[in-house]
Amino acid sequence: MKKRIIVCCGGAVATSTIAANKVVELCKKNGIDVDLCQCRINEIASNLPADLIVPTSKVKQDYGVPLITAMPFISGIGVEKTEKAILKVLKGE
Amino acid sequence: MIWEELNPELIFTNLEAKNTDEVMKIMGTEFIRLGYTKESYVEGLIAREKEFPTGLDVELENLGVAIPHTSVEHVHRTGTAIAVLKNPVTFHVMGGDEDETVQVGIVFMLAVVDPNKHIDKLQRIIALIQDQELLKKMAKAENKDDIIKLIAEKEKEL
Repeated sequence: MKKRIIVCCGGAVATSTIAANKVVELCKKNGIDVDLCQCRINEIASNLPADLIVPTSKVKQDYGVPLITAMPFISGIGVEKTEKAILKVLKGE
Repeated sequence: MIWEELNPELIFTNLEAKNTDEVMKIMGTEFIRLGYTKESYVEGLIAREKEFPTGLDVELENLGVAIPHTSVEHVHRTGTAIAVLKNPVTFHVMGGDEDETVQVGIVFMLAVVDPNKHIDKLQRIIALIQDQELLKKMAKAENKDDIIKLIAEKEKEL
């Protein structure tokens, strides 16, 4: 089944574009079919429902959806751990 | 390639700034002066950095990285400004808690018009940020040419 992922940052300018690309690559590599939505943090609610939210900024609100921060994709620190966490949610392990 | 498009006027070595606002003003003003961005760019940067900080802890002491940028409405054309700071400046951490800060030594300021058109460029900049050895060398660079040379060398690997 297709998984819907919301990748978001403050302005949907730079960091969410990078994160979205990384998430798509990761899913492709693992044979996961995704419907990816890139938006601003304040547009999350209108893009729900989703299986996963991957923000590069602080998200204060709880949307009842698993949330994994994408900062490691930008800083390069902790990428593997983040990838594992994303796959765990998407594969429902 | 990023290095080919780098404008030496947007590269700063030994930049003295007391805080993030000063970093934004000094670098952002050059973007405006050179016609990359609108007059509103600096204000846009400062406002956006407060709401969505861009400091990154790359596990180097006093050599964190920040990638300030703001929404496309303030920008005429895409460009990158790079500053090596004389003394580290405290930035808030991207996605971090409100009291989470990082001592930033290198700033990559981005003027972005259409992020999806520049995904390759953005990814190249991210690759620079993620190379600790490169950052250490950049911190020691004495002039603009050194910075451009270091980035050109790195880009040969990409």
